[in-house]
Amino acid sequence: MAARVLSRSACWALSGLRGFSAASRLLHPAAFSSCSAAPAPIRFPQVFSPFVQSCRHYGDLPPLTLESISERVLYVLKLYDKINPEKLTVQSHFMKDLGLDSLDQVEIIMAMEDEFGFEIPDADGEKLMTPQEIVDYIADKNDVYE
Amino acid sequence: MASSSRAHVLSLYRTMLRESKKFSSYNYRWLFVSFSRTYAIRRIRDAFKENKNVCNFQDIQTLLNRAEENLEIIQRQVTIGHLYSTQKLVIEHQEK
Repeated sequence: MAARVLSRSACWALSGLRGFSAASRLLHPAAFSSCSAAPAPIRFPQVFSPFVQSCRHYGDLPPLTLESISERVLYVLKLYDKINPEKLTVQSHFMKDLGLDSLDQVEIIMAMEDEFGFEIPDADGEKLMTPQEIVDYIADKNDVYE
Repeated sequence: MASSSRAHVLSLYRTMLRESKKFSSYNYRWLFVSFSRTYAIRRIRDAFKENKNVCNFQDIQTLLNRAEENLEIIQRQVTIGHLYSTQKLVIEHQEK
């Protein structure tokens, strides 16, 4: 009898969410019999299929591609307050087309360093004058060729 | 502006900005005045933009010397800030 009471309380606990309908079912003799059976153990889904391959990325970012680099470069440039996002294209020259000075260009290169997480030497940074050049430089440094 | 001076100014600008990004504490006090962490970055940017049209050689030299002195101050304050760091503020945790 004690086991039966225990299983009933288990039933209550399991059907807690269903509320009144479950309670009324418990009063039924038929419901009693179903409840007295041991409740099925909770099974967590485990997959041992040979078709499922585990793939670890080791906390690394998805691999860079030329498109993703140029997307991120343009995104950083659009957020820079002195650049008009409507005038910005991949080929636009920072000084001739966008009207920036060399101080702004230094800041842009520093923003790129922050975005891509590596340091660009002064000598290389001075030569990068269009978004396309920045994309090519970053792709070259990260060994991205496609 | 001579080309060597131009390169010097740009590298000084870059170095100063890079150093002032290293401030660790949210705000710090120097000479009894309280500064926010981003104050140095803003001040450097404004000062360089303000004086970008200066052509007189003497003025440029004075400004460069002032920038060098300020760079030393920034480096010293960053080091001191790292030596005597405190717990992060509640607002900083929300930021990141």
